[in-house]
Amino acid sequence: MIVVGWLDEFMWGSLVVLQIFFLALIMAVTWGLLGAAAKLSSNRAAKLTATVFTTIFRGTPELLVLLIIYFGSAITLTSIAQFFDPEVKFVDIPPLWAGSFAVSLIIGAYATETFRGAFQGVDPGTVEAARSLGISSTKTFFYVRLPQMWRLALPGFGNHMLSLVKDTALVSVIGLEEILFTADIATSVTIQPFTMYMVAALIYLGFTTVIMYGVRLMEKRANRHLEGGR
Amino acid sequence: MSFDIALIIESVPKMLVGVGITLQLLFLSTLFGTLLAIVTLLMRIGPFRWLRWPAIAYIYFFRGTPMLVQIFVIYYGLAQFEFVRDSFLWPALRVPFWCAIIAFSLNVGAYTAEILRGAVQGVEKGLLEAGSALGLTARQRFIHITTPIAVRLSLPAYGNEIISLMKSTALASTITIFDTMGVARTIMAQTFKPYEVFISAAIIYLVIVWFIQMGIALAERRFGRYMKR
Repeated sequence: MIVVGWLDEFMWGSLVVLQIFFLALIMAVTWGLLGAAAKLSSNRAAKLTATVFTTIFRGTPELLVLLIIYFGSAITLTSIAQFFDPEVKFVDIPPLWAGSFAVSLIIGAYATETFRGAFQGVDPGTVEAARSLGISSTKTFFYVRLPQMWRLALPGFGNHMLSLVKDTALVSVIGLEEILFTADIATSVTIQPFTMYMVAALIYLGFTTVIMYGVRLMEKRANRHLEGGR
Repeated sequence: MSFDIALIIESVPKMLVGVGITLQLLFLSTLFGTLLAIVTLLMRIGPFRWLRWPAIAYIYFFRGTPMLVQIFVIYYGLAQFEFVRDSFLWPALRVPFWCAIIAFSLNVGAYTAEILRGAVQGVEKGLLEAGSALGLTARQRFIHITTPIAVRLSLPAYGNEIISLMKSTALASTITIFDTMGVARTIMAQTFKPYEVFISAAIIYLVIVWFIQMGIALAERRFGRYMKR
């Protein structure tokens, strides 16, 4: 089997995918929480900003967002660098970071809507109960609202995580050496495009399967207080 | 660095030519994908296990892998096999446009099949019981009760799927198709002005999404008219 010789390259590629996945996941959750907070706040400017954010990043192709961020940041950084040192030719954000950032913005926009809905789904009675018990609003947020919201957000957020891992494939377009890029190189050497791209597909299938089961376990855990009781 | 307005004015008409290709990709893939989804749905919920199993495998594969990988497997991958190159399908399979259509249709088919399955399962049991009490056969119940209600139930998710497909058509630019995104990338390569070019393209895409959303809202109103009181 010709694939065996390429397995280590594919493994390194998979590690890059995991890196992007976790970097983007952390950022996406941050954008999602900030966006949801802004959308639910009474501040009009914050609301408008969040709406513009979700409209733009949910309405434009993922590839376009990635290219704007990568080339846009590169050209901005280059012109800043040239201002100080005219010798400089090209400065860019490392593709790993530009890619993770772009993917996180897209998923963050979707997560904003999911989190907003989930926060609204939390029974206000529980928040009032915490308040009447004299629990501070910070503690109420972390111990009452967040755990309940998490349970409601999980099904939607699980789907976002699946989209996230699949969107990492796009980052190969800006030259990051992940699975798809490896398949590309392997193809040019072995002239077996189907085999190599299929290997890439199966690796991604493995990732999505693991995430699917992971989300199912998390849902079970988040819903454990509902088991048996009724 | 300055913002080049002239470049925007110059490049938007070129991109609008690309919009034609984007819309063709969108329309044909939605059409083929939906037909494929209906066939897959019937296989998936039908009584035969040997039909159910391939449907599940198909849905699992196409929902679990990135669209870009699927495009590459079909466009670059299929040429590996001699029997594909010798077959009568080769004239279509060597054209990037048709490869993109095949990849998008297969992808949309898998997602839509799941959407439709959810909708079919969401149809109230009581209605079907009422149908059988009135003496309708299983086939009549499926055509006259399940289908119209499931269509209405599936519309919001189906609409999102079309919007998501529209955004995915930008991936066609990776296999040398000059859709909106392809044109934008060409202009970008010539001028190296990412902000002007890509932001113009983004606005074009946002307008298309807006039109699709309006269309879906109209369809929802039309198919949901029985719910109005």
